Amino acid sequence: MEEAPERLEIRQRFPSWREMLKPVKKFEEGRVSYLSLPKQVNSEFFKMPFGDVERDLDDLKLPENWKEIFLDAMKDTLEKNRAFKVFMDICVRCGACADKCHYYIGTGDPKNMPVGRAELIRSVYRRYFTPAGKIFGELAGARELTEDVLKELYYYAYQCSLCRRCSVFCPYGIDTAEIVWWLRRMLSRVGLNQRFMTISIEASSRTGNHLGLLPGGMYGSIQQGLEELKDITGFDLHTYINKKGADVLFVAPSADYFATPHWYVMLGYLLLFNELEERYGLTITWSTYAGEGGNFGSFHSYEAAQLLNSKLYKEAERLGVSFIIGGECGHMWRDKHQFINTMNQPPKNEEWKRFWENPDLGELAEGLRGIRFDSYASGEHGWIHILEFVAALIEHKKIKVDKSRNDQWIATYHDPCNIARGMGLIEEPRYVLRNVMNNFYDMPEHTIKDKTYCCGAGGGLLADELMDLRMRGVMPRMMAVRHVYKKYGVNILLTPCAIDKAQFPHALEYWKIPVEVGGPMEMVGNALVLTAFGEKPEDRQYDLRGEPLKKEEGE
Amino acid sequence: MIGVIFGVIVPYIAVAIFVAGVIYRIINWASSAVPLKVPTTGGQQKSFPFIKRTIYDRFDSPYTKWETAGRMLLEIFFFRSLLKNTRYYLDRTSQKDARWLWLFGIMFHYSLLLVLIRHSRFFLEPVPSFVETLSNIEAFKGVFIPSVYISGLVIVVALFLLWLRRIFLSRERTLSLPSDHFVLILLLAITISGNIMRYFIKADLYEVKELLTNLMIFNIGKAIEVANNIEPIFYIHFGLACFLLAYFPFSKLMHAGGVLFTPTRNMPNDNRARRHVNPWDPADVPLLSKGITVAGMTFKSKKLDWDTYHEMYADQLEEIEEADFKIVPEEL
Repeated sequence: MEEAPERLEIRQRFPSWREMLKPVKKFEEGRVSYLSLPKQVNSEFFKMPFGDVERDLDDLKLPENWKEIFLDAMKDTLEKNRAFKVFMDICVRCGACADKCHYYIGTGDPKNMPVGRAELIRSVYRRYFTPAGKIFGELAGARELTEDVLKELYYYAYQCSLCRRCSVFCPYGIDTAEIVWWLRRMLSRVGLNQRFMTISIEASSRTGNHLGLLPGGMYGSIQQGLEELKDITGFDLHTYINKKGADVLFVAPSADYFATPHWYVMLGYLLLFNELEERYGLTITWSTYAGEGGNFGSFHSYEAAQLLNSKLYKEAERLGVSFIIGGECGHMWRDKHQFINTMNQPPKNEEWKRFWENPDLGELAEGLRGIRFDSYASGEHGWIHILEFVAALIEHKKIKVDKSRNDQWIATYHDPCNIARGMGLIEEPRYVLRNVMNNFYDMPEHTIKDKTYCCGAGGGLLADELMDLRMRGVMPRMMAVRHVYKKYGVNILLTPCAIDKAQFPHALEYWKIPVEVGGPMEMVGNALVLTAFGEKPEDRQYDLRGEPLKKEEGE
Repeated sequence: MIGVIFGVIVPYIAVAIFVAGVIYRIINWASSAVPLKVPTTGGQQKSFPFIKRTIYDRFDSPYTKWETAGRMLLEIFFFRSLLKNTRYYLDRTSQKDARWLWLFGIMFHYSLLLVLIRHSRFFLEPVPSFVETLSNIEAFKGVFIPSVYISGLVIVVALFLLWLRRIFLSRERTLSLPSDHFVLILLLAITISGNIMRYFIKADLYEVKELLTNLMIFNIGKAIEVANNIEPIFYIHFGLACFLLAYFPFSKLMHAGGVLFTPTRNMPNDNRARRHVNPWDPADVPLLSKGITVAGMTFKSKKLDWDTYHEMYADQLEEIEEADFKIVPEEL
């Protein structure tokens, strides 16, 4: 793994407007993404234009008429997406967004200000699509599209994590995520794709998940979880996979099958599912075909996102489930909340239709009657977030929890960007956490909820070659964690996002904050009393990490 | 001659450009598709009844069209997003609320509104009573002689403050394009010339009103006659204002209309209750599986439907089938 420098210096630069229009030629180490290889973008399962050659930034090997293709793609985007078009036109450059971007705060690079990033493509838009830009050129802030400009667009398009923090503060709601997402799509039309995300997109398209796990691998992994749980709880637990006739399909991000600390969340899911089945008869199944909740296509382009999320409703229909529960993942919920039911037709199976006519869990399992989803969801969508689901179970007293089992933890909660700003899931996780643990403290107001800071690795930037950028981008979040660490002695940072869980352990080590990382479902799993198996609150001896719950006497 | 050019020809051209330009821009935006429902949610979503939503959540994460309308109105009339502004201090690694931009913006825009309302007296006969009342209130009529219109002065101050930001704050200086300075200078020139005309070099306002009302009813002969009688100072103010009108549709000033078209603000956060349909994607088969065409070549990705998938991994899937789709811990 490439390391960020020992000493991190933030050099702020304030060049003139003329200089801002000139493409940057020297790219900083640790901030440039590798370009995709043919095996990722010229695969049978993910074929992108001109993906058949290996490129690097010194030699882009562009198609001959690349300029025409790029401008055509831009014209197409302007017609296909009003947001992009309006955002090209109405920015007044007031600067309100500038210091809202964690990458700008961390790098000091003026082109990393959200407005600076948007101006990179806006200047090209002005030159080719507006009368002022055509006539006055540079004076109107317009510039020619050259190969250097194209490289610069690539460089900065992959320094944005699509977190939308700028959009909250913009008086017109200009959403850099929207601009950058569609810019990445245009870049992909001339053969420029980022390697890290296309590895996962191709794997997911081929196997159903980003890790490229084959069905047996996923099966074995979940099986191992059950074995660990047997050691921890002493009970023989089980779960279903690819099972037709189950009530619910469960979809998690694939990192939960392997990575740590995601793994503990996985154990939490399994405990909850067993309790619900034993006690109420609600059956929940996993799927190897729809084994991926996270959607790296949603970092790349509309089409790539659609290619990956098209499987999920199909699988729900094939298995005949009534609704879908989604696991702990950040951008997954941008995709699953805002994109999936537009990009695809919702399931048409009988069970689905019947359930959503009267979406009361009692229709599936009598004991759960009273938990209804129709205050905000319908059969045109059909996805419920696992934490919403748990919140409802707790509110209706359908599960028994023992808060004291989490007493060794003093927790804070990080709102993943896309869950907070693309979905509005803010209070449910807090409701759950307050009910499953005694020590929970929020970080300062400016850094949570809709104003939450990105982990610095979202939007496809979890790549190793971007380590410098990642450690800089996470800085504002880390300062907030350090604040609660000092003030309340917080020792665990909880986040329902797979990318956060992968990024934070590195970041906490780099910024020297001795705090663990976990997910809310791990806390739920710890606190959940398996009443259906005859478990008593005091029975559990180990937490999901395998640590003894009660310290030995005399320690 | 000045009267004919700047009093009659220029205003007609300017208004024509303004109207045609604004209509064109709006149709142009409206004709572009909205593929996805992408509101930026700034507050708690509509959820289970026991998850409480505050009034702020209702506007920041609207669920109904009324809440969405409320969000838009708050945005338009109170610049609510700017009001949330904070400033990040590197050395302190802390943040403070920073509402100066909001204050300057509000000062400018509301002064502009008052000024425009006052100017309606030149176009309307009889002058509506609320215009009179409003003018009297803001001028503290009777306190100063002649009356001093506060909005006319505040607008100049606000414009200077907004401009000084762009000159003295390093970030804003870097961001500002010549056109950003140009608009501010143009507005300053218009407002200052207006104030000069009001307090120092006076123009005959009855003549001005007659010119404008005649222009409005296309009584061109009479308009030319009146135009030639008006003092030149008026034409500085009037000519610049006409230029601003003509420039408006081609500039960032179109943010005035554009704010209504922002999908991140004008769409409700009800994706899970109501499906949004993408006008250019029927969503039957993924677009990549149909193939995308670039430069005459079609690039097609294989569609991994269940049957293909089953064929590829048949042995492993059959093993799962043999286990009756159930996973249990392995016997050791």
